[in-house]
This record gives sequence, structure tokens and C-alpha cells, in this order.
Amino acid sequence: MSITLVHPGNERVAQAATPPARLASLAGKKVALLDISKPGGSLFLDRLGEILRTRYGAAEIIRARKPTFAKIAPPQIIEQLRGVDAVIEALAD
Amino acid sequence: MPQLESAPVIPGMQTGKKALLVFFETDCPTCQLMLPYLNVLAKDSVQVIAISQDGEAPTREFARAMQINYRIELDHGLKLSHAYNPQTVPALFLLDENGRVAQSLVGFDKTALNNLAAALDHAPIALPDDGAPAWKPGCSSRHLEPQSADSSSTNGSPLLRKTAEPAVRITLTDNVDPVEYCREQFGDALPVVPPTVEKVEVMVRASGLAAETVVGRIPPVYGEATVEKIAANAVMAGCVPEMMRVLVPLVRAVCDERFNAHGVQATTHFAAPLIMINGPVREQLGFWSRQNVFSNVARANSTLGRALQLLLLNVGGGRPDGIDMSALGNTGKFSSCIAENEEENPWEPLHVERGLRREQSALSLFAAEPPRGVSEHTGQNGATVLRAICATLATVWSYRVCMMPEAVVVLCPEHVKTLHRDHFTKQQVRQFLFENTGVPVRYYDGQDGGEGTQLVAQYREITIQGERCFQKFSSPESIHIFVAGGTAGKFSAVLGSWSTGPRGSQMVTYPIPEVVQGG
Repeated sequence: MSITLVHPGNERVAQAATPPARLASLAGKKVALLDISKPGGSLFLDRLGEILRTRYGAAEIIRARKPTFAKIAPPQIIEQLRGVDAVIEALAD
Repeated sequence: MPQLESAPVIPGMQTGKKALLVFFETDCPTCQLMLPYLNVLAKDSVQVIAISQDGEAPTREFARAMQINYRIELDHGLKLSHAYNPQTVPALFLLDENGRVAQSLVGFDKTALNNLAAALDHAPIALPDDGAPAWKPGCSSRHLEPQSADSSSTNGSPLLRKTAEPAVRITLTDNVDPVEYCREQFGDALPVVPPTVEKVEVMVRASGLAAETVVGRIPPVYGEATVEKIAANAVMAGCVPEMMRVLVPLVRAVCDERFNAHGVQATTHFAAPLIMINGPVREQLGFWSRQNVFSNVARANSTLGRALQLLLLNVGGGRPDGIDMSALGNTGKFSSCIAENEEENPWEPLHVERGLRREQSALSLFAAEPPRGVSEHTGQNGATVLRAICATLATVWSYRVCMMPEAVVVLCPEHVKTLHRDHFTKQQVRQFLFENTGVPVRYYDGQDGGEGTQLVAQYREITIQGERCFQKFSSPESIHIFVAGGTAGKFSAVLGSWSTGPRGSQMVTYPIPEVVQGG
């Protein structure tokens, strides 16, 4: 005898966003560094920003910082990232 | 206060009469919670005009879905929002007969709403045990948001639904073992009870709610927890149908932004939700508060904790082999539910401290580390018992991290007896633990860069028994006291927290209705 179950899980299918094309070079590009507010993250990003400028010719580095690593970024932080060529998000510790 | 002389005219407002303006966004969960409460005021007491910061289509849909019975106007160009300048929505402005602002409030706050009702000579409109939280912050007002390059985002945001489609039915053929199928598809490592249509229907009926009602959206994937989905997971966990009256507020609690299940479910830390049960529901549904309280002793505790974990897994998507990134995990992720031994507690139980009546059943949620045992059998007085607990409290999160952690202290009845005999009140117990828990300053001498050593500028120095220490906790309220366990054995326990406060996870307490809603 067959048995019928009620689906107990999330049935919504997430729509995956298409990632942008990979940059061929960072030269002349605007790069955002997103600090998630973990200890040590800003030190890492300072150095990374310097390397991106001096070694890879990035034209502009902008920094954004989440108020807390424990929650998703609020919309105003995401807005700060709009218009850049690349974003690097730093996890840290 | 805004000067109304310079404000644009409110469409449809009758002059010479009091008016209540409410600014809202259609996709703001707090607006969706709050605006229906004003229906009764609009009917009885005052002209209520809602000002939508969104376009016509989502506003119409909002009014239909929320069954709003009062006038709603669109704020074209956000002119009214700029004039009244609310920082967050929902924002209420009570205007007197001359159109001047007499009172304003933002967000959802039951006490403030009831005070507003009283100012209009109306009975309270937000009852304490109606299932909604006492307080919920709002969203940033649309006129203060940065201009979006994508202009469709404002009006295109989907309205959070109050109801959802029925769950899909899965028919298994004879050659498929339903227990094995469910374990593989919807369980963790343990077998579950197959959620058959018949069993789920019994569970839904016991809730007194419609099967398609969305109770919450469970992070981190924000799956819709309908009554039917909750019921299916409750069946799988082995709950009795009467447990639905606890599960519905439990899902609301776990979806409360203050608890921050998104972070708790995704962190690399040990944290797992600890459910703490208070009030008459303990006796009514068989929640256990005595010996082996953290163990596999009672069906109510074990199945409620397990149902929550299955909901987090199946509806919330927090898979232990996926987005749940805990480095070592926590045995509490099988099930973690304790009840307070109020009969052995001479002080106020937890839910009363947190603002509820003693006879109100309640649940509290805390993002907890696993329990650490504290044995103190030979000490003859309350201070000796508390100093043993202080030594363990000093190690929560990590031994040199101060100010950030919180902790739940589970006091066993024998320790409570000693403390009560020595005339400690609950507040004095908390104060003693606060003042006597610290980390010796000499532990920070080596400048070895270890965890917690970078933050000493924020620490407070105190002296504990002649030794200079950094105080472990930021306030006495960081220490939550709960009485539980058997009457033999002088073993208490300490459970550390995850990241705390508005930037982490905060303990939440929800009332459990005496009878099921609508039942």
C-alpha cells in the first residue's frame, strides 16, 4: 500500500545570480574591499589594498565595513559597493 | 517636531479633527506586523491615514493582504516623508485638532501602542500574549535610503506573504521504506517519523490555525514556515499534537531578528539554540525540569528540541554538512530544551524576570555553548558555591575575552537551598557572580597576541580576593539564572553565549498561549 507524505522542507527554489565575467586585469579598475568587522580584518585589507594598487595597478580602492560580522550586510553597505569593478570580502580572524 | 504649516496637505484628512498618520513600507516586516493593530482605532476612535512610501500596486496588495480598513494614501515623491521626516517606519504621528503633532512613535512597541490607545480613551489594542513580540524595530524610512540605480527596486520588492501554497505531497511506492526515505531526504543522522498526510492533518488541527498560514521565515535561507510545514516537522520529531501551541511561538521566537538565527545557524562557533520552558505548560505537556534535565528523560523536552532542529534544517536550510559551518558542532543540535524547576526555586522564575506573569507559560531562546559542569559539594556557604561558579564563568567564550560574553547559569536545587538559607536574593546572586568573575591581569602580561588581549582598552579593572582582574561581564544582566535539575547532587552548570547584544544574538522570551489560537 502506498503512503503519502507532506513535504516538510523549503520548496522555494533560489534563483542563482549570474556572476559577472572575470576581469582580465585589475589595472585601472575600481576595487571595493568589504571588511566584515572581524578582529584583524582591517589590517589584512590595508595590506591587500596596497598590493592591489602597487603590484596590480588598481586605480581606486574603496573600503566598506559591515557593522557586525554576525549579520548580513545592510542595504546601505551594499549600495556603497555599487559601480565598482570588483569586490573582495574579507573574512578574517 | 515637524511644523505642519510647511507640510504638504494630507489627502483626505478631515480638518478640525484628531488624526493618526502612519508612515509605512509594504515590504517592512514591522509595518506588516503593526498596521493591522490600528484597524480597531480607526473603527472606534480616530481618523487613521496610512501613508505608503511605495507605489500603487504593492500598496493595494498590502492593504488587501493585511485587511487594512482605514484610508491609505501614496506619498508621491516622498514629499510627506520629507516633511515629517520619520527616521524609521512604521512611524506614527498623532495630530491634534489643529493639525499639530501631539505624539509620535516609531517601530512596533506594545506598551507605546496601548499608551496611544489610552490617550484616545480606548482600551489596550496590543495584548501581551497575542503571539507577537513586545517590541520590534522598524526599517529605515524610504526617504533616507540611498538613491538606488535600480529604480524598480522600490516598487518591485515582493510583499512578504501571510499565507503560502500547500506543501507538496510525496507518494512513495511499496518498495520504498518511508523511514529510510525521510531520514535521507529530510532528517539529520537519526531516523524520523514519516510525516504522513493523516498525521500532519491531526497536528495542523491541533494548532487551531490554517495550514497555509506563514508563521515565520526561518534563516539562513528564509524558508516559509507555514503551520503545515511546522506540523510535518513536529510529526517527524515525534511531538504530540498539543505541542503545536508551543511550536508556533517557538518559530516566531527563532525568527525574531533579535535572536539572529541567521548568524547562529551559520557561525563556526559552538552555538545552538537552547529552549527554556516556564509556567503551567511544564505540567500540562510534561516538560521535565528535574534530574537529567539536559538529557533524554522526557518526551516533551526531547521532541520539542528536535522539532526545532528539524525546522532549522529542513525549512531554514541550516544543514550541518553545508551552510552550518560550526567547527566542532554541539550535541545540543540534536535537541536542547530544559524546563525550570520552579517548585525548587524560591525566587522569581526566568519568565517573570523577563516581564511575564508567573501563571503565563513561556519559552526563552538563548544561543548557547554546551554546558560546563560546576561541582561544589564540600563548601558550607553560599559564597563558596558562587565562587566555584565564578571560576567556570570566567572561562566562557575564551579565558581572556571579557565584556562581550553572556552566560546562562543553571543552578541545581541543592546549591539553591544553600544560597537561600544564606539569604541570597536572586539579584544578589547575580550581583555576586558579576562582581567576582574576572580574569587576572597578569594573564595579559606576555603580549602574546592571544584572543582577547587586543581589547583590554575596553576592559574594566577590579580586585577580586586581593588580585587585580579584568571584569568578565559587562553588566549583571549578562548573567541569566535558571533553576533546574534533581534534588540530589551539588552540580550546577554554566552555558556561555555566542556573540551578544544587537550585533550578535539576544535572548528572546515569548508567551505560550493557554489554548491554541483559534482553537
